[in-house]
Amino acid sequence: MAPRPLEITDLLWSIDADGTPLAVPQAEVVDRLMALGQRRAARIVSAIPAADGVLDTGYVDALGFRVHCELQRLGEELQLARRVAALLSPIIEMVRLNSTGPVRIVDVGCGLGFVVRALAASSALGGDVELVGVDLNPLLVAEARRLAEREGLTCRFEQGDAFKPDLAIRDGARCIVISSGFVHHLPESGLAEFFAAQSWLGVAAFAHWDIAPCLWSTLGAWVFHYARMREPVSRHDGVLSARRAYPASKLQQAAQIGAPGYDIQVLEGSRWHPRALDVLRPIVGTRP
Amino acid sequence: MTAAIAAALLVLALLDGSFAGFRASVGRTGLINHRRSDYQAARRGAVLICVLLAPAIADVCAEVLVHPAQLGQYTRAGRAMLAVYGPYALLVLSALACYAFLNWRLKYLASALILGPFTLLRPLVVILGAALGVTLSTDAAVVTAVGLSVVAVLAVEPLAGRLWYARHRPRKHATTRRGAWLDRRR
Repeated sequence: MAPRPLEITDLLWSIDADGTPLAVPQAEVVDRLMALGQRRAARIVSAIPAADGVLDTGYVDALGFRVHCELQRLGEELQLARRVAALLSPIIEMVRLNSTGPVRIVDVGCGLGFVVRALAASSALGGDVELVGVDLNPLLVAEARRLAEREGLTCRFEQGDAFKPDLAIRDGARCIVISSGFVHHLPESGLAEFFAAQSWLGVAAFAHWDIAPCLWSTLGAWVFHYARMREPVSRHDGVLSARRAYPASKLQQAAQIGAPGYDIQVLEGSRWHPRALDVLRPIVGTRP
Repeated sequence: MTAAIAAALLVLALLDGSFAGFRASVGRTGLINHRRSDYQAARRGAVLICVLLAPAIADVCAEVLVHPAQLGQYTRAGRAMLAVYGPYALLVLSALACYAFLNWRLKYLASALILGPFTLLRPLVVILGAALGVTLSTDAAVVTAVGLSVVAVLAVEPLAGRLWYARHRPRKHATTRRGAWLDRRR
């Protein structure tokens, strides 16, 4: 099986186990991309300023912020927060019926925390729902906190690993773990472990939205990333996301291995014709 | 008739300038509520297109004053441009109306099926309309005015980005201290 192509944003930061950012050698990133035949991506990375062969962290952080802002704009256009709210509302109702106390939504790999902040701004899920975003990248966590504070939103952000969501989860039975556009960043070998991390904590449910891979979504990703994005990195990674996304069968299989006690469904229809409404579709697991 | 064509083209240019200004601004700050900055960006775009179109408008006015017989040439070119830009604008405005008034699922469809792809096609449509306009006129002055207009319309978005939103870009040789650029923005 051919190795999966790499997204540039997966290579621009290196975070150690303690969550501390490490220096990223430019040549190493370029070589990795060239080895996979990704010449354009290699050219984009070569153009990033570097000092002593190490990518300029100031530049990379600013670039990362811009890329995530552009991504947020696309999320707004995809009505992502409303999609999340529409799916989660009945699940939250179910959790409320089964026990008392606040319900917590934890968004893993939240980036700038767009979904969490948009849900907080709309109050669509109700006042008893706590909203927490988790991301490994300290820059994005800091920015998400700053943006939430600036708009006076009731939500919080933690730096942490999507494979260890326990830092944001106290009572699994009243917690729902979500993500959007995140799962395709995981290696295939890590998919089952990702679902298992949530299953071990006994979360009430999980729902992870990602692109449904097919010709139509690749075409749509190309059109939208070229029409809407300004940064070459955004355009490159956006189109590649559609190609890297996992098919429903693979997600379902991994979730069944990692979270065997859950009812699991990938909410998508036939991919043989354009399905503009569910270009981002969730894999949903609920405890029976 | 000539006045109506000129007015229609000007209205379309103003609308396009507003949307171009909006596009230059959106997706820059990461804020959830950006309505105020969206309106401001649209106003900036409208002003910018007026400024950028000024040379073309001045050129047409001067030419028609000096050579009134040329008016027919401009009218023919304008009508041809309107034949391309009119339907495009109608579709985009209909999609925007859907986006503004329908529920979120249909909002998304308006964006996915019309607004996104049409943004991508926009430069081609601008050039196509202009090409059609100049093919109906052999007059150099008409070609110059149409050319200036095309440049003006296509320049709004990148120019607005540079003029008002370039502060969101880092310095070319940013400091290597992590987060320093972000500190400056605060």
